Amino acid sequence: MSDVTLTIDGVQVTVPAGTNIVDAARQAGIAIPVFCYHPRLKPVGMCRMCLVQVGTPKVDPATRQPVLDANGQPVIAMMPKLQTACTTPVSPGMVVKTTTEEVRFAQRGILEFLLTSHPLDCPVCDKGGECPLQNLTMGWGPAVSRFDYNDKVHFEKPVKLGDLIYLDRERCILCGRCVRFQDEIADDPVLGFDNRGRNWMIISKSDPPFNSKFSGNTTDICPVGALTSSDFRFKARVWELQSKPVVCTLCPVGCNLTLDMRHDRLMRVMPRENAAVNDIWICDKGRYGHRFIEAPDRLTTPLVRRNGKLVPVSWDEALEVVADQLTLIRARHGGQALAGLAGPQLSNEDLYLFQKLLRELGSENIDTGIGGPAALPPDEIGGWLAPGPNTDLSKLGSGTVVLVIGADPEEEAPLYMLRLRGIAQRGGKLVVAGLRPTKLERSATQVVRYRPEGELAFVQGLLKAALEHSSRTATLERLAGWKELRAALERVSLNNLATACGLTVDGLNQLAKDFLTASQSLIVYGWEARSAGPALTEALAALMLLSGRTGTANNGIIALLPGGNSRGAIEMGVRPDAGPGYTPRKQRGLDANGIWDAAREGKVRAIWLAGVDPAAKLPVARAALEAAEFVIVQDLFLTASAEYADVVLPTASVAEREGTYTNAERRVQRSRQACAPVGESRPDWQIVAAVAQALAMVPIGGGRNGPIPVTTEAWSYMVAADVGNEIAAQVPGYAGITYAALAATGTGGSWGRQFDDAIYYDGTSYTNTEGVGLVLPALASKGTVNLTFTGKVTRFADERPMLLLEQVLAYDGDRHLRGSKLQSLIPRGYAAISADDAAKLNIHSGDRVRLISAAGEMVIPARVLADVPNGIILLPAGLADVMAAEIETGPRTRVNLAKVVTE
Amino acid sequence: MGLTEHIVMRELDIPDISDFAVYRRHGGWEAYRYALTEKTPADIVQMVKDSGLRGRGGAGFPTGVKWGFLPKGVYPRYLLCNCDESEPGTFNNHQIIDKNPHQLIEGVALSAYAIEANVAYIYMRGEFAAAARTLERAIAQAYEAGFLGKNILGTGFDLDIYVHRGAGAYICGEETALMESLEGKIGQPRLKPPFPAVAGLYGKPTIINNVETLANVPRIVEKGVAWYRSHGTEKSPGTKCFSLSGHVNRPGNYELPFGVPLRELIESPEYGGGMKGGRPVKIIIPGGASAPWLTADHLDIPLDYESLAAAGSMLGSGGVIVLNDTVSAPYVAYKMDEFFKHESCGKCTPCREGTHWLVRTLHRMVEEGHATAADIDTLHSIYRQMAGNCFCLLGESAVMPIKSALQLFPHEFEALVKRSSSRNGHQIPLIVRH
Repeated sequence: MSDVTLTIDGVQVTVPAGTNIVDAARQAGIAIPVFCYHPRLKPVGMCRMCLVQVGTPKVDPATRQPVLDANGQPVIAMMPKLQTACTTPVSPGMVVKTTTEEVRFAQRGILEFLLTSHPLDCPVCDKGGECPLQNLTMGWGPAVSRFDYNDKVHFEKPVKLGDLIYLDRERCILCGRCVRFQDEIADDPVLGFDNRGRNWMIISKSDPPFNSKFSGNTTDICPVGALTSSDFRFKARVWELQSKPVVCTLCPVGCNLTLDMRHDRLMRVMPRENAAVNDIWICDKGRYGHRFIEAPDRLTTPLVRRNGKLVPVSWDEALEVVADQLTLIRARHGGQALAGLAGPQLSNEDLYLFQKLLRELGSENIDTGIGGPAALPPDEIGGWLAPGPNTDLSKLGSGTVVLVIGADPEEEAPLYMLRLRGIAQRGGKLVVAGLRPTKLERSATQVVRYRPEGELAFVQGLLKAALEHSSRTATLERLAGWKELRAALERVSLNNLATACGLTVDGLNQLAKDFLTASQSLIVYGWEARSAGPALTEALAALMLLSGRTGTANNGIIALLPGGNSRGAIEMGVRPDAGPGYTPRKQRGLDANGIWDAAREGKVRAIWLAGVDPAAKLPVARAALEAAEFVIVQDLFLTASAEYADVVLPTASVAEREGTYTNAERRVQRSRQACAPVGESRPDWQIVAAVAQALAMVPIGGGRNGPIPVTTEAWSYMVAADVGNEIAAQVPGYAGITYAALAATGTGGSWGRQFDDAIYYDGTSYTNTEGVGLVLPALASKGTVNLTFTGKVTRFADERPMLLLEQVLAYDGDRHLRGSKLQSLIPRGYAAISADDAAKLNIHSGDRVRLISAAGEMVIPARVLADVPNGIILLPAGLADVMAAEIETGPRTRVNLAKVVTE
Repeated sequence: MGLTEHIVMRELDIPDISDFAVYRRHGGWEAYRYALTEKTPADIVQMVKDSGLRGRGGAGFPTGVKWGFLPKGVYPRYLLCNCDESEPGTFNNHQIIDKNPHQLIEGVALSAYAIEANVAYIYMRGEFAAAARTLERAIAQAYEAGFLGKNILGTGFDLDIYVHRGAGAYICGEETALMESLEGKIGQPRLKPPFPAVAGLYGKPTIINNVETLANVPRIVEKGVAWYRSHGTEKSPGTKCFSLSGHVNRPGNYELPFGVPLRELIESPEYGGGMKGGRPVKIIIPGGASAPWLTADHLDIPLDYESLAAAGSMLGSGGVIVLNDTVSAPYVAYKMDEFFKHESCGKCTPCREGTHWLVRTLHRMVEEGHATAADIDTLHSIYRQMAGNCFCLLGESAVMPIKSALQLFPHEFEALVKRSSSRNGHQIPLIVRH
């Protein structure tokens, strides 16, 4: 768009056409006070705070030329009334005055009006100290109050809007930011207005009230203390807080957080601005779900089992036991008798050292997660074909095609829902394909809904159509299995594929063409797509490669994997088949399920669990841990698995240590230490290094399996950055990803915390001074993609009538949600079925149903939901009381459904 | 100087015109038939433009010009008839519907044809339940006679008219709030631009006209531009239905050509019949409660848009409220602003908070008898802080009563202060009330 030059308070400024006066003034360094205006929301001009004088060059109606004065300067016609700067777009030659007495009088008047209804309870208000109403009153308001205090309007307060947000209607200045955020950004239009005049008020229209996963953001953008967080009410004054930059590890988005600490105690969690990741928003899981840090049942000392009981010991004692036992088992049974599982929320440093030590000890039995019937092999596609450096979803709009397939971003990675929705709002094409409706679908430009038997047909149809439009197959030709896939595609007609997925041939052709010819194309897939088997994601990979843009900015595949650092875990080599940086190992180790089997057979004898709790979910793991000679549990809590542990090592939480994390777009971000570790807990990487040091000290050596190849020198890491530097040096793809480079904040800067800038935007601490992270150089850009097309699809043990799919929920049984306000929002276990299926069996919500598969059976309450397709059962396997492994035969399971009849 | 023939209030010439057959006998619906069969929509727009017809809702904007703002080639378009008639002192729309409903329906239909709309809505004030039934009956008769529906008179023109009753909010007479309300939302004004002609009801090009405006259209088409312009003044052609109320002998609706002096409306035995009991005129509010006040000094002002504007007031809705010397100016201002406070939608700060504060202050001064000199300054600054700064005209209207009262009758406010402070030398007590 063209630029427009105008004059504001005598300062000439050039801004893009369409900019409003408030934003233009800001670029000239001039603050125009606002309340209802927010740069992320559509202007409404309601609060009238931004009134300014506006004039435009006078035009001769006859000649259409500007009228000039005696000095040849254009004559400016000032508008008779003040204009709201937020709703007035700039125009060439416009003159704006923001400091004249007329303007000051009006602005002072608006502030005085606002304060007449405001309770002025700043001394007890959570917003006090970062409150735009306070700040603007200081800057623009009247010095005294003329309003009779007894004439104030009173409301019952506070009003509880759900379990997370409280509303104080007396403080509310009715700017409507919260309502508009919910409508425009979150797509949860659950807030609204009721009544009129001075009784005009914010209400929640949903049941349960304020039903949104993004509700906390409204407390940030609220320009007064009307909306407060149940998590922070009356806990601290904001000026006492120290803001610590941390990265959220609760999902693969990797939102930038600020932990606001007072005397080492967590007071609240705030979003930290990062345009390329979370903008200024976070989901409620990130905001409220960090209370595990201060949970009273955190482990504080190492424990060692003595006489069947875990007793507290010193680190030295615990490490000695670990080193002795690992040495002994290795000496007797070899390195392959050792195994380790790490959780996907650990940092790159933790994960890197974890696999390094195990591999040095001669074990390749390393995996991420806990295994189980539904476990999938490590996702390579989302790594090889991730979007390239400088990827920034906030910049994408028209010209972009995003294909979201088999994913429920709102539950799997909540902030992605906002990011992807934003692309559609800015004119991009958002195609949402899946077996069932999701919330993102409401923002889609095209929805593709297929039956389970049609989902592979859909991607293969797209790929087949794309092959007719693109000849960029050079990279594909080099890949193993491509010839077979291509031959298979040639054997089926596009018509048949289209019929199978419910589209037309033209529809498939058009979509493939759009995808290939867009300026940017992205594919996002989630659990549902991955659970169909590798063939589906492989076809998506081929489609992406056909675009020829793989590895450049804003082009690629984003895989939504469980856990905050699952991509990091794969790239650090916490997997049995490859080392760091997707480097295949000569000898493949055992994956989690292999470890469980081997342990029961006595082949694996020592199991090290870092940040995983398999015993809570898997009967097979309980048997294996029972059988194992030596079990190390390294965790925040005394988990179910700790019952089987010989040694329990307390780890420091994400807030208590430094580390780097790799998100779903392969953006590496640095998280800082916010507070001291609880008790004697230590960061995972330090624990691993300490174990290595202890191993190096064991005098007995390695016996017939050779000496322990671990030296004190090689394992002398002082700080997390030492490990980080080794990762940068050793892990392919991570070159240059140093801690220093990660700390760069880039251009644009931040909005600052208080006063001047904060007046303009907000009073909240979005400040990001600690880095926005770096997207890794694309692995695929060198043309050396190392993918194999296996063509495998998920097979079933038998053909029972119903298809059981795991459903990922944001609020689930994750032990990280302990002690948080989200607990009341976590549902009890259920199996969701369609209304039609329910009617056939006379099942109502709450009835107990029996699910019977080839593997076993389970009794669980049913939930009849409108958005479940017929023939499908959704099972939220992440809930603590859902033991999916009891009936699952794989990532998907065929089951019989029956109502449990009680007499 | 009465009219020989009424343009709108034709029940005065033809007593039973509210009967469909009588209306038809007197040429009713013929202008519409003529337009549909012999004129293009553009012809009708031009005719209305040439007639100089101005919007009777208050702003007096030339109707034909407004119609011309519709973007070319964008359909569907909607015609809205604003029958919210909530302005205090205004009641002529109600009478038009009661006494001459078919002319309004014909006007709506003709105008819809002119602007190429196939759907028209008549938005009625919620309280007008009986009037809504009258209109619905009239619409049903028009359907029956083939003037509404599909392929009307074989011309291919389709038109449906719906009557919608509001839920009781003054703000819904504001055109964009009316649209919000019609769409089922909370009645609050929208940001302009875009203007309704570009993006109105359901985001589509929309023309919104007042009842009286639309009721004029059939007569313009029927009797021609020249005939129409022979009434009224050069810049305000035609007639206006004035709603006269207050301390006059004969309150009621009177249709007068524009340009008749205010004095004639009040004093002529044909119209107001003079002041009750012969008491002197004190306050004249010429265009509904939103209009700045006039006094007895202004009695010779001609009743047309330009003359009233020149006198610092406005013709507005034509609701003329005449008050005699027995009223207290502060009390009148208080009662009027109480109305505006009650009706403020709450969307913008100055109107929501300003009206509340005005009323609290006036209530204390007028009703409770506690007035201080500072209150007068406060009242001045409250309305100044509101004036020109509100989102829509409701807040601007609320300024008029208090501003007029303070400017025209400052001594009455001073008297209130004096009365308070002279009471046994008492200091003003702190009032606690809930």
